[in-house]
Amino acid sequence: MLKYTIRRILGMIPMLLLISIVVFSLALSMPGDPFGGEIDPNNTDPEYIEKMREEAGLNDPVHVQYARWIANFVQGDFGESTRYKMPVSELIAERMPNTIFLGVTSLIITYILAFAMGMYAGRKPYTAGDNFIGGLNYLGLAIPSYIAGVFAIYFFSFKLGWFPFSGSIDIRLTEGTLEWYLSRLHHVFLPAVVLGALGTASYTQFLRNDIIESSRKDYVRTARAKGTPESKIYNKHILRNSIIPLITFLGFDIVTLISGAIITEAIFTYPGIGQLFLDSINSRDFPVIMTLTMMFSFLVLFGNMVADLLYGIVDPRIRVD
Amino acid sequence: MAELADKTNLHIKPQKRMSPWAVARRKFMKNKLAMVSLFFLMTISILSFLAPYITTADISRVNIGSMSLEPSAEHWFGTDKSGRDVFTRLLYGGRVSLLVGISCTMLIIMFGTLIGALAGFFGGLVDTMLMRFTDFILNFPLLVFVIVLNAVFFGKLGGVPVLIAVISVLGWGGVARLVRSKILSEKENEYILSAISIGSRPSKVILKHLIPNVLSTIIVQATITFAAMIVVESGLSYLGFGVPAETPSWGNMLSASREPDVLQNMPWIWIPPALTLIITILSINFIGEGIKDALNPKSLR
Repeated sequence: MLKYTIRRILGMIPMLLLISIVVFSLALSMPGDPFGGEIDPNNTDPEYIEKMREEAGLNDPVHVQYARWIANFVQGDFGESTRYKMPVSELIAERMPNTIFLGVTSLIITYILAFAMGMYAGRKPYTAGDNFIGGLNYLGLAIPSYIAGVFAIYFFSFKLGWFPFSGSIDIRLTEGTLEWYLSRLHHVFLPAVVLGALGTASYTQFLRNDIIESSRKDYVRTARAKGTPESKIYNKHILRNSIIPLITFLGFDIVTLISGAIITEAIFTYPGIGQLFLDSINSRDFPVIMTLTMMFSFLVLFGNMVADLLYGIVDPRIRVD
Repeated sequence: MAELADKTNLHIKPQKRMSPWAVARRKFMKNKLAMVSLFFLMTISILSFLAPYITTADISRVNIGSMSLEPSAEHWFGTDKSGRDVFTRLLYGGRVSLLVGISCTMLIIMFGTLIGALAGFFGGLVDTMLMRFTDFILNFPLLVFVIVLNAVFFGKLGGVPVLIAVISVLGWGGVARLVRSKILSEKENEYILSAISIGSRPSKVILKHLIPNVLSTIIVQATITFAAMIVVESGLSYLGFGVPAETPSWGNMLSASREPDVLQNMPWIWIPPALTLIITILSINFIGEGIKDALNPKSLR
């Protein structure tokens, strides 16, 4: 297993290099200068611009530019944002907590919803309640998050006034107080529900089917024969076995959360990484675009790897070689 | 096994010598949900593609005299902030959204099937190379790279064809993987071995023997892809990185709701495209489920 893990991690490196080449070529072919951030836009003297370009290394051959960029990148120097005039790493560090908070909250919501619905549907399959949950899941799979988000804002923010429709915090509050934390929770709740509802359907269906399957197994019959209460059989014996395969979903959740976060943050104007990405595209902030694109790709690679590794850990029958 | 097959046949009671496709069609026709969905989808498609003949209103002209009107007899779904009729735009938007969805689906299915079939049939080095390439493509987060590519082509190339190309180029990986795995198990059958042993060319074996036998999987995958592509197109357009803003599409119409004023006070502008999208996606999903059921010889319905 350890050997396999190390091989998978090493295998990511060539993939990341290839992706970095693609990202770099894309940045080069974008209109405008990808690395022109240091040039003062108000100074249009051609000689000055030429001197600055020379100093910034923009006249070097492409492979030299790429080598310099990737060398800096690996060392954690992502360049400076042309729009915010600050290092990209600081900019991302500033936005990151919001996105992580959103992601974690939405995962918790997914788990709560999926466990409640999956356990009920698995225990009482083919009843009205099960069919209702099945129908809900079908809707959840079919309705895109942006439509759900728009409706959520319309009903819960505008019509009922329960939740704020934008931002991540009430700016009048001081950091660290109880109200501040509550306000953050209040702001993140609606986007997190919309984002979390995305993954709920697959979790619920999996849990339901697994519980139904397990309930026919021998160890359950033995437990019944011994006179174990029905609730204990379902909540302890079966659930413990059914939870394990669910862990493998975690890797794919990372991938889902990335694209989900971009759209959800845009709907709720929630200041996270996704919003930063869209803003930087609109303002042609190349260092930020390149860094975030690399980061998203890395996370997808990482998520897929985690999923594969978890498969191996959860089910030792899956041969890893 | 033979006994079991006889028993299941008793339940369906097929007429003599019905082809598998005829059996599937009969099963599909009996599926009410799928038929209703098919009816919905056909209606929406026909209305959209006949839009120029149904309505005479101009979709592009800004009409200052009738801005943000509520629904009335004259404007069924009201007008948007530029005074354009929402119903007319909905029909025209359907053309673009469905066109993007169908084109992307066809390209993705064709390319994915080609790569998957080649990799699965030849195996060995060809398989390794093609699947490495597929893995590479699959590692790009679709949404992120479509947005970045859109920024690259900004101003130079643009519009619907580029969007279709970009989505298709990044989207075929999943289909290729699926088709490969199906071909891998299908080619172990003896009829493939006999086809090869009598000297059939690989192209003939793939096209005449393998593809028809995995076609049911491909068709089901196509319906899933179709729904997914409509979601992708409208999602991108909603964010402002999809179909150009001047072309009406369901996603573009929905993006009007990003203004809080429109979202709060003029629901007639964004609710029609939102509901149309939901109904369309649900219909496609139900049709897909229906086809899956109908093509599955084990299902008794």
